[in-house]
Amino acid sequence: MTASGSPARGSTRRVPPPPAPSIEFEAVSFAYPDGTRALADVSLRIEPGEMLAIVGQNGSGKSTLVRHLNGLLRPTGGRVLMDGTDIRPVHVAHLAARVGLAFQNPDRQLFAGHVSAEVEFGPRNLGIRGAELAERVALALAAVGLEGVAGANPYDLGYSRRKLLALASVLAMRTPVLILDEPTTGQDARGVARVQDVVARAAADGRTVIAISHDMRFVAECFRRVVVMRAGRVALDGLPSAVFAEAAWPELRAAYLEPPLPAVAGARLGLGATPTGSEFVAALAAGLRNR
Amino acid sequence: MAVTRLPDYVVRRPSGFYRSTNPGTKLAIAALEVLAAFLLPGWIGPAVVLTAVLATAAVARRLRGLATFGLAASPIVGSILLVNLFLLPGASDPIARLGPLAPTWSGLWFGLQTIARLLAFSSAIALVYLTTAIDDLLADLSRRGLGRRAIFVVGAAVQMVPLTIERAGEILDAQRARGMDTEGHFWRRARGVLPLAGPVVFGALTEVEERTMALEARAFSAPGRKTLLRVPLNGRIDRVLFWAALLALVALVGVRLAGRLG
Ligand SMILES: Nc1ncnc2c1ncn2[C@@H]1O[C@H](COP(=O)(O)OP(=O)(O)O)[C@@H](O)[C@H]1O
Ligand SMILES: [Mg+2]
Repeated sequence: MTASGSPARGSTRRVPPPPAPSIEFEAVSFAYPDGTRALADVSLRIEPGEMLAIVGQNGSGKSTLVRHLNGLLRPTGGRVLMDGTDIRPVHVAHLAARVGLAFQNPDRQLFAGHVSAEVEFGPRNLGIRGAELAERVALALAAVGLEGVAGANPYDLGYSRRKLLALASVLAMRTPVLILDEPTTGQDARGVARVQDVVARAAADGRTVIAISHDMRFVAECFRRVVVMRAGRVALDGLPSAVFAEAAWPELRAAYLEPPLPAVAGARLGLGATPTGSEFVAALAAGLRNR
Repeated sequence: MAVTRLPDYVVRRPSGFYRSTNPGTKLAIAALEVLAAFLLPGWIGPAVVLTAVLATAAVARRLRGLATFGLAASPIVGSILLVNLFLLPGASDPIARLGPLAPTWSGLWFGLQTIARLLAFSSAIALVYLTTAIDDLLADLSRRGLGRRAIFVVGAAVQMVPLTIERAGEILDAQRARGMDTEGHFWRRARGVLPLAGPVVFGALTEVEERTMALEARAFSAPGRKTLLRVPLNGRIDRVLFWAALLALVALVGVRLAGRLG
């Protein structure tokens, strides 16, 4: 469950994906056709291999933002650049080879009659066939712990497993950029651990990982950078230790977010910024030793 | 100290030309337009209705939404035109001879007229969708004394359309995000889209079922009069328009039945 920890389940030879591109939002604004202004002047640079969490109240524009990365939405103002090039003219089907996006709601993604066909769909569209396809499917299913249900109908799985299946179906595409829209929602502790595992391994492979989440513990534990969105704008952007530090709490609460418990406890005890449980314990232990 | 605001779904009022018109009134006008499109003879029906709908949409700034509806209807429109152009029974005034095929003038006119009727009829309904929050429509029907079950059926049916379109759009997006090619040839696209019908329909059914249960859980069928959370505006003009539309509707049907028109 730790970042560089356990060996990959069932994987013998992991082919690393192509190098991740740098991503840049350049003063991006977006309004839906009905006039809803979902993004206002967002500028953000994401380096290759970064682990970025996006948090914010429902409706703050998180999903809208990430849909600009594979061309499902195009900015109404500003530009989205990948490796310095505007992606506006690039088709979604093309961008899909570089950017994998697992949707928030699995029921709006899954459509195949059985689990392995669902996972095959993405890589097939990228032209993968034969032994490599089979291997990708097997590894992706193993990564989320669904190797035992390859023949099942996705609708016979419960919600949390459908969600993991949707994740596997994007993993199998081995895109250099991996985006997860609320991956831990509806997962029990074991499901969350699986997702954390997937994130850590993707990062170890040098992929850029972007996750939208309401789970502050997951965010603090797994990500190196946190972006807080509020009403279509970036309200905070920094290390978890900075974003969850006491000084930022008013801004967090204005976005209807609660800092993670270890951060609150650390601040109460005067231990400084301790966004994760382990940092809190370490700081506490050091504090007690020095007394 | 911040003033506590009531949430949008309670106090937000539709504003702007036609958008703020009472939902029941808009429904009555649409019903009149639908009937007129079919009952007025020849080109008059579609011409009058299309002009009325387009003018209203333009002032209400909903022309773009209407254009989208038109675009969605274009495959049907095309096939209606082709079928009539080449296959109208009894037509004997060929425009030209193309081997075994003979497009006819009467086929062309009849086809165009059918399309105009169809567009008039569907755009009248589309305009209600484009200018009315469904909740307002249902609240208004309820205020007008329509029974709960009836309102639920109307509501479920009416809401299913935009929800299904929205869901279909997102399901398609999810596949595009996984590299499905939606550019390419028509048949290739159709082959890709067809399997998506499963989750679209399945999702629609589950949603209706969930909605029913959620309603029952909130004492939907409890006896007694309900209090409405939001009461749609219904000013003097709305009431006059409502009754005028109903009257015109009845008159149109009456005259048509009496066989004086067309
Ligand atoms: N298809 C759509 N049409 C119109 N408005 C939308 C659509 N999708 C989202 N919105 C609106 O855009 C804003 C941002 O939505 P979204 O990006 O989904 O937020 P989040 O993912 O942070 O919850 C919200 O106000 C939402 O209501
Ligand atoms: Mg979202």
